[in-house]
Amino acid sequence: MSTRAEKERLELLQGTLDLLILRTLIFGPHHGQGIARAIQQTSEHELLVEHGALYPALQRLEDRGWISAKWGISSNNRKARFYSLTAAGRKQLVKQTAKWKRLSLAIGRILDARTTEG
Amino acid sequence: MFRRKRKLSDFNAEIEAHLRLEVERLQEQGLSANDARAAAHRAFGNVALVQERFYESGRWLPWDQFWQDIRYGLRLLRRSPGFTAVAVITLALGIGANTAVFSLIYGLAFRNLPVPHPQQLVRFGAHVGEDSFVALSLPMFEGLARSQKVFSSVFAWSGDGVYNIEVGGSISRADIWAVTGNFQSELGAIPEMGRLISDNDVDLRAPSATQVAVLDYNFWQRRYGGALDTLGKTIKIEGLPFTIIGVLRKGSSGINAEAPPEITVPLTAQPLLDSHLHIVSEANIQESLQRPDALWLEAAGRLRPGISLELARAQLDSLWPAIRDALAPASQSPAVRARFLSLHLKIESGAKGASFLRNRFTQPLYVLWGIAALVLLVACVNLASLMLARAASRGHELRVRIALGASRARLVGQMLTESVMLSLAGMLGGLAFAYWGSRALSRLIVREIYIVPAEVRVTPDLRIVAFAASAAILTGVLFGLVPAWRSTKEDPNSALQESSRALARKTGKLGGGLIVAQVALSLILLVGAGLFTRTLQKLRSVDPGFRTRGMLNARLSAKPGGYHHVDFAAYYRQLAERVSSLPRVSSAAIVHMQPGGTNSWTEEVRVKEANASPVRVDFDMMMPGAFRTMGISLLRGRDFTWQDDEHGPHVAIVSRSFAEQFFPDKDPIGQRIEITSHPKWQTVQVIGVAADASLYDIRRHAPPTIYTSLTQYGPDWSGWSEIIVQTEVPASAMRNAIQEAVESFGHDFVFRLETIPEGMERSILRERVIAILSDFFGALGLLLAAIGLYGLMAYNVTRRTREIGIRMALGAQRGTVQWMVLRETLILALLGMAIGVPSAIAASRFVASMLYGVTPSDSTVLASVSIVFLTVTLMAGFLPAYRATCVDPMVALRCE
Repeated sequence: MSTRAEKERLELLQGTLDLLILRTLIFGPHHGQGIARAIQQTSEHELLVEHGALYPALQRLEDRGWISAKWGISSNNRKARFYSLTAAGRKQLVKQTAKWKRLSLAIGRILDARTTEG
Repeated sequence: MFRRKRKLSDFNAEIEAHLRLEVERLQEQGLSANDARAAAHRAFGNVALVQERFYESGRWLPWDQFWQDIRYGLRLLRRSPGFTAVAVITLALGIGANTAVFSLIYGLAFRNLPVPHPQQLVRFGAHVGEDSFVALSLPMFEGLARSQKVFSSVFAWSGDGVYNIEVGGSISRADIWAVTGNFQSELGAIPEMGRLISDNDVDLRAPSATQVAVLDYNFWQRRYGGALDTLGKTIKIEGLPFTIIGVLRKGSSGINAEAPPEITVPLTAQPLLDSHLHIVSEANIQESLQRPDALWLEAAGRLRPGISLELARAQLDSLWPAIRDALAPASQSPAVRARFLSLHLKIESGAKGASFLRNRFTQPLYVLWGIAALVLLVACVNLASLMLARAASRGHELRVRIALGASRARLVGQMLTESVMLSLAGMLGGLAFAYWGSRALSRLIVREIYIVPAEVRVTPDLRIVAFAASAAILTGVLFGLVPAWRSTKEDPNSALQESSRALARKTGKLGGGLIVAQVALSLILLVGAGLFTRTLQKLRSVDPGFRTRGMLNARLSAKPGGYHHVDFAAYYRQLAERVSSLPRVSSAAIVHMQPGGTNSWTEEVRVKEANASPVRVDFDMMMPGAFRTMGISLLRGRDFTWQDDEHGPHVAIVSRSFAEQFFPDKDPIGQRIEITSHPKWQTVQVIGVAADASLYDIRRHAPPTIYTSLTQYGPDWSGWSEIIVQTEVPASAMRNAIQEAVESFGHDFVFRLETIPEGMERSILRERVIAILSDFFGALGLLLAAIGLYGLMAYNVTRRTREIGIRMALGAQRGTVQWMVLRETLILALLGMAIGVPSAIAASRFVASMLYGVTPSDSTVLASVSIVFLTVTLMAGFLPAYRATCVDPMVALRCE
């Protein structure tokens, strides 16, 4: 993803970016630029993804059949390629989200633990 | 490969769309157009990197690179058509020559017979000592066939018999094989029409023979025009009628690797044919067939599954002594009996079939292959230096590519692809050249050895193509690797700064080294060519001991039925007189075996009273007066006379070397000699000593020879004699007259008429072939070396233009400058010669057995080759040297 030296931005793992993209698409088809903006805004500018990194991820998801793509016209009359979630992608989203929630819960427990003795 | 369906252009369009959207959004937020664009790109990241990653993720890189290299290489080659043409032609010649020789060697020595399961075939037969011909008598064959357990089937044949046939009224000769009933079926023959010879046709116990015949396909096409009603027709063999019962399918092979039988008849017909010719006096088939000591059958068997050759050999060897001893003739002289009992079996694989040519030509062909390989090596070195020069001119481009991150392996790979492509293109031309060349060579060899249609199977099959392809790839790598490695060597940073001059100088050193190698290799080729040519010269100038100029040789062949009641002594006397009285004929005589041809005749003899074992010596039968016609002088004693006939004591004349070997301190006249090879021969008494003559092999000087009198041996030996005619008239003019004279007696017709020198040329076919081809290859090598020298010198001059300009501007004479350039050429050539000459001498030791009259370090050859080389070198170097001095100093000084 980000190869910049900006340490303040949170660096996301590859699989996580996939998850975010899938989640963003749950509300309907978006084009690449729209997805990037959505991630930025919804995370309240905590997550700044390099737009370029999005496209290889999108291609990967498309290759796996979790999203489908089609050229269309954007809201301001520009040509853009729109991505939408497939049924398989929807299933993946549920699976990955559950996994992520379990992971973050487990990590949270460890970080909040006071002492090791119970 | 592995390309996903989405194109790069589509991806790029999407990215462009993204950027446009982003720019618009930022503009909406209030940024100026330029700021928006900058911010959008910043937010995106490295566009090129993303595109690259997309491109790479869908592909397998090495495959892509491979195709890229091929396209790039093609472009480069198209841009320099001259170089490409020269390279492809050179490679085609080099690879083609190697493939041609390989096809021949493969066809002669390695190819299996085109029959089902050739590796099951095992040939066996009896022989004495180092006789190469192995055969059995019929009782021996039957004895072995009965007791053996290792073969699923055994069959036998009497082959390579050339007899007179009459088709549609015209008489000619054909190759006729007499076979057992299962011969054709065991060798996988399939009839095109009719049927094959079967067991019913070959009843070995019947008193008469079934006279049927099966024709070979090509024979049928040639003599019967492929007529569909040939079955049932009669063909006369030696005047006897045979019914045609079948025609073989095209491509059916016998057991001879080169010549399938033209006509196949049952085994029982063989004595019939021979007796009709009065070769065998008995007309009784059974008596002929069952003779225990007549070795006329060749035999083979098919191994049972799971039985190996060694097992078969062991079993047959254990069965043999009992069979042989039971058949030993009791009534013969002890010497003959002892010889019979010393017969032992030779058992070998029959997968490759029988071949006349294999033994004679395998070694020369290997030598030729070595020569062809050397030529290819010279071509490789030549091309390597050319590639080096090309790489040097691309030097700047290569440095830049390295600086931009190309790996060395990648660049070397690209240059290798180019050279391998050249090689493969050369291979295509080479295959065509090889096919044509191998067939021409095969025809040349076969035509002079076989009198019936034969050929070496050189049709390209997968192995030959694979050989050519691997030779091509190896060649490409060989001449591409070193230049590629060298030119990508330097550290790009320093290389970019270095002037092209210093760069070129380093390349020049390697180039010089390559030239030295080329000179050395070409020298080896030339020395080889010189040695072989000189061998041929020496062979041609050998004095064989008999007269060769103005001598004709007419081979007689019996007319069918022509030998009924012939008094041979009278017949020959009259025939000789008739021919010698023809106009412009000085003399004529009849002998049995042609002197100076490709045949030979030897018998085993021993001195009667001595206790020595028999020795094999050259043998011939002469008519009285033949010595005079042949120009062999009689040193002692007397010639044969017409009074030495069948009723008198058998006499013989020996050669001087014979007398020296067998009677070193005695007078040979009056001594008695026993001829032990065959019971027909009686003991002979020496009546004269003749001067030495090499009747059969001019490579052997003064072999011990013994002559017997033609008049003393009856029908058994008197067919197929030769008339030697001494006349200044050429053969073509004498042909009719001699033919008429012979046919007027009604016993023989003239089978072949040639001059004695023509026959002797045939006997040195091997040396001729090698000399011609090594000359060709030597010239080719020399040409390549000259081109290489010229190329390098031209290149050197170009890169030293500035230096030459300075020298001339400072007042150097043209001659000095020319000498300076020429000197470089000479140094390289001399260096090459210094390496090449000792290597050539060393290499020649390997072929010493094929030389005659020259040693590997023959000074004439070495001297002349060196002179030729130096001359060519000077010529090759002169032109660039001359051009160097035509340079305008002002132009030279300005150029870089």
